[in-house]
Amino acid sequence: MDMKRDYYEDIELFKSGTILFWSILFVAALFVAPLFLSNYHLYLFNLVMVHVIVAVGLNILVGSTGQIALGHAGFFAIGAYGTVLLMTKLGLPFFPAIVIAAFISAFFGFILGLPALRLEGPYLAIATLAFGLAIMHIIGHTELFGGRQGLTAPVLNIGISQWGLNWVIKTELGKYYLILIFTIIMVLLAINILKTRAGRAFVAIRDSDIAAEVIGINLTMYKTLAFAVSSFFAGIAGGLFAFVLGFFDPFTFNLILSIIFLVMVVVGGLGSVMGSIAGATLITYLMYDLLKNVDEVPIVGNLLVAFSGKFLTTTGIDNFNLVALGLVMIGIIIFEPLGMFGAWIRIKKYWKTWPF
Amino acid sequence: MNIKKMLTILFVPVFAMIFSIDLGYARDVGFDDEEIRVGQWGPQTGPAAPWGAVARGTKLLFDLINEEGGIHGRKINYFIRDDQYNPSQTMAAVRDLVDRRGVFAFVGGVGTAPGLAVQSFLRQNEIVWVGVCTGARAFQNNPWLWQIWPDYFDEGAILAIHAAENLKFKKIAYMYQNDDWGADARVGIEAVLKRNNIKLLAAIPVEPTERDLSSQIARLQATGADAVIGIMAPTQAAIALRTSVSVGFKTQWLHSYNLCDFPLMNHITEGLWAREGVMTAAFTDNIDADTPIMNRYREAAKRLAPKERWGLFYTAGIAAAEPLVWALQAAGKDLSKEKVRDALNSITKRQGIGPVITWTKDSHLPPRQLRIWKCGPKGETIVVQDWKTITLESGK
Repeated sequence: MDMKRDYYEDIELFKSGTILFWSILFVAALFVAPLFLSNYHLYLFNLVMVHVIVAVGLNILVGSTGQIALGHAGFFAIGAYGTVLLMTKLGLPFFPAIVIAAFISAFFGFILGLPALRLEGPYLAIATLAFGLAIMHIIGHTELFGGRQGLTAPVLNIGISQWGLNWVIKTELGKYYLILIFTIIMVLLAINILKTRAGRAFVAIRDSDIAAEVIGINLTMYKTLAFAVSSFFAGIAGGLFAFVLGFFDPFTFNLILSIIFLVMVVVGGLGSVMGSIAGATLITYLMYDLLKNVDEVPIVGNLLVAFSGKFLTTTGIDNFNLVALGLVMIGIIIFEPLGMFGAWIRIKKYWKTWPF
Repeated sequence: MNIKKMLTILFVPVFAMIFSIDLGYARDVGFDDEEIRVGQWGPQTGPAAPWGAVARGTKLLFDLINEEGGIHGRKINYFIRDDQYNPSQTMAAVRDLVDRRGVFAFVGGVGTAPGLAVQSFLRQNEIVWVGVCTGARAFQNNPWLWQIWPDYFDEGAILAIHAAENLKFKKIAYMYQNDDWGADARVGIEAVLKRNNIKLLAAIPVEPTERDLSSQIARLQATGADAVIGIMAPTQAAIALRTSVSVGFKTQWLHSYNLCDFPLMNHITEGLWAREGVMTAAFTDNIDADTPIMNRYREAAKRLAPKERWGLFYTAGIAAAEPLVWALQAAGKDLSKEKVRDALNSITKRQGIGPVITWTKDSHLPPRQLRIWKCGPKGETIVVQDWKTITLESGK
């Protein structure tokens, strides 16, 4: 069923009619979902989609090109600050602002990609980590960026006010549709990039950079390109995040966020776009929702409260949340090294051949 | 059947169950005949976790009220949410509490950034919010926010008043965290020094992440300051004190009210805090004060929250919640949002364990009373300047 008969079948966006059908159905479901959701859920979905864009972009770098990156919160911050400042200081409309901010972010990604040509593994991890931390401090020190006090996002006007075209998005619902459209475009973009010459070059570099160079892949170009593309995704996501939250300070983009982004990619499944989507969704949901309300889950919740009251300190339950998040990550990596994407493949196989 | 296979089969039903739990809330009013729902965010985990005690202190007051039968027959159902001092988590927590639990009011909420992130949302939804736990001046004029944490301008002013006017020091220097906190307090300090014709000898910034302060202390020592006013986080204050003692720089330290938890500070400085007799600003009753109201809370804490340390941030949580309790009592049996608002607006010269509070329809500004404490030789609190009202024009 997965046999390819010619080259063009391999680069088709949707591998089969079935996948196309379910994809369309899934997207349609996302478009009607707000009918059944509260404002709180819309906020959560917006956050999930923003994280999906970052994870999908990061996956191009980590999963497909095999370069480690621990500084993506920095690119995320550049996107957020860039978009807001371009809008408030230069009066640019929203769409040009977010795209320019993403290109600025991509430019920094390109710069960071240069040392990556000589660094590998742990050395690269430290270089990117330093970048993420440096961005946080530079922003915190600069008056233009609002210093440590942070910035408040302006009104989200997606029209062009200079021409008298105003389209102000005020509600959570409006933001949901805007971000949903961005997410769909960015995900399609990611899938497509991986099916181009560049995408194949990325994978070749991951598998063996010497072999890749021997067959004529320009390592300098493609490694830096992978960094730039990945940062572009983070930049777009950052620009959207600025409006989801409405306010942010440098500490929002700390090291932990960079690590969480990496966790999303690894838990979702390295090298798989669908995996990144699943990983970002699961981790965001666990962090922001389920584990915050774990004391209200039937049976388990009461047990935990009782346990914490008896044996733990006053913040037992809250600390348990972090432990649980860690356990989920460890569990997934141990039982399913391919992440949630691997689990999905096994589930699919099982039900396909059911009951055997 | 092996584990992997079982997990594979269980995957779908387990997930469906979890998601269905998540959708099962639909409350939208803040109170009913049984209960009034109140929330607070605060860092229970992460780097700012010590300040999480504020949210738990509030819980003590509400537990005590509930134990006595609630307010006009309604119990207070209190929700604490851990936001790890991260604005995006604060926003998620606040929306969860407002949209799904139907919270009527918020108390406190530690931190400037978390508070700034949610202020427009709370204002739009007209949620009663008594006291954000920061003295930053960046909060909008919000008809639904009543501020209780003293302004950092006033904090700087009281420290300078004590140093320059009570203790008559002429050589005063300033060491501050390089952000708005340090900047706001500096305005207050300089206003006081100006009226005494004193110039700051030096103003030396510290980064919140810095851990080696020897160069800063060397610069302070070179000025020969008799008193140093410090506006910085506990860790840095401890490092600064240790460094200055080790280089033989003898000076009187006067610190922010965020550092007036003497047992804690004495612990992390290994006794230096007491030996050097560090002074701080303060805005609550002394935790071991022998007053009827403090004794009542202390007894309640022993009974209802035996695991909690009876510390300053914990009692600050009680002080932050007192005005809401007064307003709920004053609003009467027939409760409404507007009645609570009017009750808060008409609190006049009332005092619990915090400063004397007066709010009017037009002014929800924080009280301008502060005190100065000194850490005694055994780590005990000595009140060296009782409640004093700052009358300087603060520009707010």
